[in-house]
Amino acid sequence: MSFEHVLELIKNILITQTGIPNLTGGQGLMLCIGLLFLYLAIAKEYEPLLLLPIGFGIFIVNFPLAPLMGYTEHGNPELIRAFYKYGVEWEIIPCVIFLGLGAMTDFGPLIANPKTLLIGAGAQLGVFITYMGTLFFGFTLKEAASVGIIGGADGPTTIYLTAKLAPHLLGANALAAYSYMAMVPLIQPPIMRWMTTHKQRCIRMRQLREVSAREKLLFPLIACFLIILLIPAVAPLMGMFMFGNLMRESFVVKRLTDTAQNSLMNIVTIFLGLSVGATMQADKFLHWKPMLIFAFGLGDFVICTFGGILTVHIMNLFLKEKMNPLIGSAGVSAVPMCARVSHSEGLKADPENWLLMHAMGPNLAGVIGSAAAAGMFIAMFQ
Amino acid sequence: MALALLLPPASMAFMDEADREKPKPEFTREGDSIVAKLIPRAKSTSVTINFAVTGGGKLTAVSAFDINKALTPQINIKDFRSELFSVTIEDVALGGDATLTVASAFFTSATCFWIFNEHLPTPWMDSQAENIPLGDKVQKFIIRIKDGGPFDSDGAANGRIILVGGPSDSFWGYVLGTLFIRFFGVFIVLSVLMIGMLISGWIFQKLEKKPEEARPAMPPAEPRPLAQAQPPSRPAPKADEIPPEMAAAIGMVLSLNMSPRSSGKFSQETDFVVPTAWALDGRRQMMADRNMVFNRIKR
Repeated sequence: MSFEHVLELIKNILITQTGIPNLTGGQGLMLCIGLLFLYLAIAKEYEPLLLLPIGFGIFIVNFPLAPLMGYTEHGNPELIRAFYKYGVEWEIIPCVIFLGLGAMTDFGPLIANPKTLLIGAGAQLGVFITYMGTLFFGFTLKEAASVGIIGGADGPTTIYLTAKLAPHLLGANALAAYSYMAMVPLIQPPIMRWMTTHKQRCIRMRQLREVSAREKLLFPLIACFLIILLIPAVAPLMGMFMFGNLMRESFVVKRLTDTAQNSLMNIVTIFLGLSVGATMQADKFLHWKPMLIFAFGLGDFVICTFGGILTVHIMNLFLKEKMNPLIGSAGVSAVPMCARVSHSEGLKADPENWLLMHAMGPNLAGVIGSAAAAGMFIAMFQ
Repeated sequence: MALALLLPPASMAFMDEADREKPKPEFTREGDSIVAKLIPRAKSTSVTINFAVTGGGKLTAVSAFDINKALTPQINIKDFRSELFSVTIEDVALGGDATLTVASAFFTSATCFWIFNEHLPTPWMDSQAENIPLGDKVQKFIIRIKDGGPFDSDGAANGRIILVGGPSDSFWGYVLGTLFIRFFGVFIVLSVLMIGMLISGWIFQKLEKKPEEARPAMPPAEPRPLAQAQPPSRPAPKADEIPPEMAAAIGMVLSLNMSPRSSGKFSQETDFVVPTAWALDGRRQMMADRNMVFNRIKR
């Protein structure tokens, strides 16, 4: 073997089997973006449960020649492609996350004050306005629907709908949704102060009635029956959500409830975050649409907050006992972040006004509202 | 644009928008008619469009026609969700008429059938075809075409008609219509749920009231007979003999006894009792504990 031969061999090995000569500028940029989200998750604690796995997913798939998101010679999916295919494409992970969320949720505040369901509906205003706005920018109808649902501030719903309608936007949509959910304490208060007067912020609400265990037990069944009858397309999400809640309220399957709330949620969160992050490969993500999605996502959140507060103002025209309009912003379903923001804004206006449990009602209604909106979009395209 | 500067030229190819929703119709012949099966834009399920000639010729072929070849400022590509078709009808009398029918459950009463003829100064025209409902949500277009006429894109009266066109629905009409329907649909769904919960809440409250009412009323306490004065078992402790815990407990009882709640005083502005500083402190502690629970959920 001659020296030139050996050099040729080494050169071939370097080119075909190492990543260095194959690294593109786009991949370098995505590696930096992945590191940025890891920083936000770890140092700033912005939704770390999801931004950390998403950030790492972005980081790891943007290495050249890495066998992670492709298919083997035998046609089998590689590691993260398998998580994505069987978890996200098959729509299993978002539904299982909803199962865990239902097992964690106490619907007492919502059952005690069912009027707050209308606030959850009003807070979906941004979803539909963003849907229309994105169409002006060249998004297709399906893409527009998947971007619009970001304002529902419900991660699993966003992922479920985007995976169904516009899977190529999954990474951008999920990232925008979780990033803005973490920034709710920054986004919402100025809008809340702008839309309310000091006197309105000081409105005290009557203490919620007691909700019996039997009511809480029957609520998931009643809600399932009514919602799925009206929007069958939302059955996977709502069904799992209410199943989790039924397990919790039955008090007879504590082990299953504990698993759903803890281990199961943690497992699917890991796989979901990695899969979603891994969809953001340079050749798919570096496009004008994902960039615009971040801008639209912010506008979406703003309009949803506006819609929730506006709904309370409209309801107060007809109600004898006025509701504090600050709870309207809690219709954006980042549970329980938005309820806490309403509570803290209420305390700033009146240190003796405890709005937290009142705000939980619309917060939970927003989860149902965003799932209903997603169901509407799915039905629209069938 | 800044990103474009950072990327090497090879990557720029990936910046082109892939037409992921481009319909790819598959055609099958069923007797004298040809059926196109496709997934139109903005749909997730497939639809079928049935082409047939009911008089004046024989339908020989139907194929997909790329709308990008027919794009002009006159039309909006978004209005054509199923793209265009090229229909070939033969055995037509020279200069004669043929009748083409196009039927599908995908059409609505507002759908129009537009025809493209590149030889004309205004290439696009509305066929003004009759749009007839057939039942079972199927709508049928009846298009009369003259060999060599404006709808015949080969432009010659040669016994052969080639018609290029497709169904068109107003994109923005569809968007606005569905927007309002879907948004108010969310309200309707949640209103139905609200009514259901109000009714069930009322029923449960009634059911829970009944056992409480059924419980017999407690008889009034009998006045205790005047007890004979009992000699004190031990002398009352002096102030400096009282332990701190007992003093705190006595202070709390006195505070509760003397607070406005116990004396029946209420705030003039609200029905709520004005809480004492001690009560406020207790509430803050309780809410802080509750917030810890929410923090746990968040984490």
